[in-house]
Amino acid sequence: MGRVLAFVERDLRKFTRNPVIIFSSVCLPMVYLLVLGNSFQGTVKNLPFAVIDQDHGPYAKRMIERIASIEAGPGTVEHIIMLDAGKAEADVRSGRLKGALIIPPNFSKSVSRGTSPQVGLIVDNTDAISTAALQRVMTEAFTYLKVDAISVRPDRRIPQLRTLELYRKLDYDASIVPGAVIMAIFMGTMTTGAFSVVMDRFQGVHEAYLSTPLTKGELTLAILISGVFVTTLIALIVLGAGIRLTDLEVASGLSAYLAIVMVIMLSAMGLLSMMCFLLARIDHPRIVGIFGGFLNIILFFPSGAVYPIESFPPWLRAFSKVNPESYAVHALKSILFKGMNWSAVRDDLIFLSGFTIVMYTLATLNFKRTL
Amino acid sequence: MSAVVVQDLVKRYGTLSAIDGIDFEVASGTCFGSLGPNGAGKTTLIRILTGLVKPTSGKAIVAGWDVSKKPDAVRGAIGVVSQAMTTDLDLSGRENLDIYARYYSVPSKERRERIAYLLDRVELSDRAKDLVATYSGGMRRRLEIARGLIHKPKILFLDEPTIGLDPQSRRTVWDLLHQFLQDEHLTIFLTTHYMDEADFLCDRIAIIDRGKIKIMDSPALLKESIPGDDIVEIVTVARQDGMVNPPLAEVVAELSAHNFVEQIIQKEEGPYTEGDATESHHLQVYVSNAAEAIPVLMSSLQKQSLKVQSIGLKQCSLEDVFIHYTGRSIRAEEGHKVNFFIGAGVPRRMGG
Repeated sequence: MGRVLAFVERDLRKFTRNPVIIFSSVCLPMVYLLVLGNSFQGTVKNLPFAVIDQDHGPYAKRMIERIASIEAGPGTVEHIIMLDAGKAEADVRSGRLKGALIIPPNFSKSVSRGTSPQVGLIVDNTDAISTAALQRVMTEAFTYLKVDAISVRPDRRIPQLRTLELYRKLDYDASIVPGAVIMAIFMGTMTTGAFSVVMDRFQGVHEAYLSTPLTKGELTLAILISGVFVTTLIALIVLGAGIRLTDLEVASGLSAYLAIVMVIMLSAMGLLSMMCFLLARIDHPRIVGIFGGFLNIILFFPSGAVYPIESFPPWLRAFSKVNPESYAVHALKSILFKGMNWSAVRDDLIFLSGFTIVMYTLATLNFKRTL
Repeated sequence: MSAVVVQDLVKRYGTLSAIDGIDFEVASGTCFGSLGPNGAGKTTLIRILTGLVKPTSGKAIVAGWDVSKKPDAVRGAIGVVSQAMTTDLDLSGRENLDIYARYYSVPSKERRERIAYLLDRVELSDRAKDLVATYSGGMRRRLEIARGLIHKPKILFLDEPTIGLDPQSRRTVWDLLHQFLQDEHLTIFLTTHYMDEADFLCDRIAIIDRGKIKIMDSPALLKESIPGDDIVEIVTVARQDGMVNPPLAEVVAELSAHNFVEQIIQKEEGPYTEGDATESHHLQVYVSNAAEAIPVLMSSLQKQSLKVQSIGLKQCSLEDVFIHYTGRSIRAEEGHKVNFFIGAGVPRRMGG
């Protein structure tokens, strides 16, 4: 064990003496949290949108008022009034506008007479998300258009929806804190563990320690320990910063803290072992860069950190079932957002443990003790 | 007792034989040198002996253990200084030594004493706390030698220990190795392509070329083994007067006719001008009696209308030994390979 600890100490000393790597490993996942949290907030907002009123009747005005109220409320659209339908269409084509609503002449008459009133919606249907959001807004604006007065009492003939929220309300940026933590773990595995060995190979330093009595098992264990130590530390820093930045209220108590550390450590061990297996014979950091970029995308986005796994196509759902980051995200979301419940994270911990054992075994078998 | 025993060792990479069936032994307490140009197979040999590369066939016993069967035991008994600088730049000199001592499970108290002793011996005590990144190449190499000795190995392997160092640093490393060889009761196995290094340090030298040992003996006996007592070095003038020099084969045949001439070698790195017929010739003539030979050689060259730029008498060096046994210069091997060997007046091309 003395030899393993000596190797771990070497790795840790080297890591701590490289401030750029420390800074990148800690700060980049937090920047990711800020950027993704603010740019991709789960709901569509502020879509620029034109209204061309060719009717000028009372129902056209009511429709515009309803759009304005949606703008003031959920803020899905930002509308402007235009006169020229041709100009509006050109602006949609050029991307300056996401859509244009044309209220034709005699629209109000058609509404009052009940003769199938119609409005036109010009959309850039290459942007499916914006198009769907605009269609939702227009449908909402149509609802009760002809109702002159809204009853103060609920209409007992219409079924009422009552939503029971099991957990406290969560902002979108807070909801991606587990994703940021997983991103930090992934970045930790990219800058420690197997990456250190690849750098040693690249610089020729490995020839020296391969000439010593360090065994294959000791080397892979030392790589894993140093990587887990650094990665766990980075992930906990990112988690702490994420909680602070998003004002996230997390479950407190020893078992919750223990479970969070366990999930982070197991995720780090699994990913580090996987990287060790994949990079066991690589000798150029550029290949690590290529691998890293690829793995980050294919592991992170199907993990459920950003979109729910259930909405994926079947083949991607199947991949998520073997993706360690899916289990890590699920476990962290459970603990952070729903309170501590061991039974909710039991399957995640079992999968992450099994994944680590399999990957560590493969990494040890694949590790080359000779040059 | 032999520290290293190698029997019919072969290492192939595809169809290329890096080591092609070599046998030798290294006596304990001696310095053994593997001398050869780049690509001769020296580094492959040292990597096999240190357990870093598996041989294709054959046997290598190091410190009493078969490298293929007991590599861990071998690694514990040897120290290695690789050709590339392998100390960690982000660690201090002392940390480098401390961590490697722990790889060899050197006990704590002994470790501290050994580190202090070695840092003192390699004159790095005052820089021990500095990061290796701030060291010069020579300092780093001295630290690597100290690291190789941190666990008091029986055998120290050094692969081109002074490559890339300035002359002063090279000399320091030589002195250091010489002292350690005496003080630590070590066996040293080194590879080098520097003749003077091998001459200074080694008790025995194996000249390796293309994976084979050409000759193996002490430096003195190797020098004695080549023909002739003296070497006369002749450089003829390149023709710039429209005339052409006689073909080299004719020149060699004329000179070889003398009884005192043992062998003639063309040195390919000699002066050279474009055009075969006008180029100068740079020859090494191995003769039994230089005082008698030089006037006769001059006369022969004049008879062939060759103008002599310089003629000199030189001591036999390992370079000459290498040329004699491999047919080419060790320095030329690093650059172009167009050269040939002429033995006793019979020109012949060297094969691959």
